[in-house]
Amino acid sequence: MDRRSFLNLGAAAGAGLAAAAWFDPDRVYAQATAPWTLGLADVEDDVAPHKLRRLHGRLPAGLEGALYRNGPAKFRRPGRSVGHWFDGDGMVRAWTLAGGEATLAARFVDTPKRRIETSAKACVMPGFGTKAAPGSQLEGPDDSNAANTSVIRVGDALWALWEGGSPAALDPVSLETKGFAVLRQDLKSMPFSAHPRREASGRLWNFGWWRDQVVVWRLSPQGALEDARIVKLPRASYIHDFTATDRHLIFVLQPWVQERMAMPFNSGFAWRPEQGTQVVVIDKADLDKRRVFELPPFFFFHLGDAWAEADGTIRFDACIDPDPSFAVTGAAKLLSGEASGGPAPRLALVTLGADGKARLEQTSDAAEFPRNDPRYAGLAGNMTVHTVIEPGRPLSRGIATRDWRGGKAQAFDFGLDHLVEEFVFAPRPGGSAAFDGWLVGTTLNLKAKASELHVFDARRVADGPVCSLRAEAALPVSFHGNFVRG
Amino acid sequence: MRPIKTFAVVLSIAALAATAAAAQEASLTVAFAGVKAHKGKMMGVLFDSQAAYDGKGEAVRAFAVAADGATIEERLPGLKPGRYAIRVFHDLDGDGKMGLNPFGIPTEPFAFSNDAKGMMGPASWDAAAFEVKAGDNVQTIHID
Repeated sequence: MDRRSFLNLGAAAGAGLAAAAWFDPDRVYAQATAPWTLGLADVEDDVAPHKLRRLHGRLPAGLEGALYRNGPAKFRRPGRSVGHWFDGDGMVRAWTLAGGEATLAARFVDTPKRRIETSAKACVMPGFGTKAAPGSQLEGPDDSNAANTSVIRVGDALWALWEGGSPAALDPVSLETKGFAVLRQDLKSMPFSAHPRREASGRLWNFGWWRDQVVVWRLSPQGALEDARIVKLPRASYIHDFTATDRHLIFVLQPWVQERMAMPFNSGFAWRPEQGTQVVVIDKADLDKRRVFELPPFFFFHLGDAWAEADGTIRFDACIDPDPSFAVTGAAKLLSGEASGGPAPRLALVTLGADGKARLEQTSDAAEFPRNDPRYAGLAGNMTVHTVIEPGRPLSRGIATRDWRGGKAQAFDFGLDHLVEEFVFAPRPGGSAAFDGWLVGTTLNLKAKASELHVFDARRVADGPVCSLRAEAALPVSFHGNFVRG
Repeated sequence: MRPIKTFAVVLSIAALAATAAAAQEASLTVAFAGVKAHKGKMMGVLFDSQAAYDGKGEAVRAFAVAADGATIEERLPGLKPGRYAIRVFHDLDGDGKMGLNPFGIPTEPFAFSNDAKGMMGPASWDAAAFEVKAGDNVQTIHID
């Protein structure tokens, strides 16, 4: 009955909760009045499939498939609310495009956490930034799995992803939850992050974080587990996302390091800028082969795609913050209607030289949620789309594309009435050049109080959406998703 | 005459104790419910004190019962009445050990008496402890 590491959690539980003390999770949401708070409002029920209303333009011929997205959509219950944006219940949304029409359906992921909290009429489970309350049960990481961060298609299933536990498998049509996926019995409950990297071949790489170790997952294009290996890293840095070239896995170890296992999870971390940022480059072909680069300290959630150049130089983009204040306080305050007003993340380019020297070039673009053309994953010549943030105002209001080879950056501003979510690339059938296709994404229209789907020509973002459609529901801002061709 | 008198007292106390033990002997049937995988064994350990339950003493009994039948239960006779608690895991692969993933998280189902739930570790003695009275007792544990 030895539960080694798992039991160690118990010893540390209750320690180091000071970071959450500024936030009263029972604060009445009704106090919040700023229009953007609609982006963090609760959804009570699943959204039945319904046709979207066309606002302008036509859906391009050849754009067929579904944009699956995931994000938290239930934060507050009568007895207690979650203490952090990242701890709400995951709701998977399917924006389906077929025959020139679009539909929306959305369904909560049926997790043990949601069942326990529904029955308790209180958010009692511990999370990224939420303390446990009486009535919580935590016998394994998936008991607190919010399944709220991203969603990918794997084989015949959809997987709703979190970062500290197993994928939750859903039916891709009904969005009904089938249960947590077990990739191999001896690897049950191992973490599977919300940021897998899919090669152009369809092969999927992912990691699961545990202190100063990660499990590196490798899945076939059909979703079969090919390999899982434990890799030790130089420090217990918080890793939300990693990146990859066609030949390398890249772990960026920011100096937000876990010094103890505590609940809420984020209270066990400390900001140690004096340690700088380390970048660990691991060979996909031999996970024991690695190089370590040093960069100045920065905090990040999201990285763009990486590529290697002929002389061995590796580059990737990242959305970087000066410190982890958004992860600790900013994203929690949003729930009570407070905008932290802290600095916005900025788009940056990291260069890892063949001489072992690393360089960080920061742009002035306030940016989040970088995504790329999946056909160029890990290859030179890819392009990036990201959301645009107005510093001082919470969440995003536009999107922009960037071509690091020197092409002209393009941007579109949806304006103050929209909260803009991540946009992803969908290729044009028959096309092959990077970003020959469309950018598909969603916004929450604060004036119309409705969620909208927008399609851009990926190479003409500044022209605005070629088609916009509106749903009947106003869904809170979601995190990540993927377009699956029909 | 003192030794004889002492001996008689000891005898009478021993007789009393024997009578009491016969009258207060208890048995416990541990039954398993909710089992999804009818394979392997239920590996259980019975404790009669918080110290032992928390790993600072000996268990009263350990048992293994095949999990392939429609009814899965183990009868533990010859117990003293009192408070007990059980830890059990479902040894799906039959290797006799509780499976752990590389990060130390159990990969095989586990449970506690009273269906008590843990919080970042095993259920507490207070939550899992139950009374065994003289005569026959049944403790049903949901697992899997």
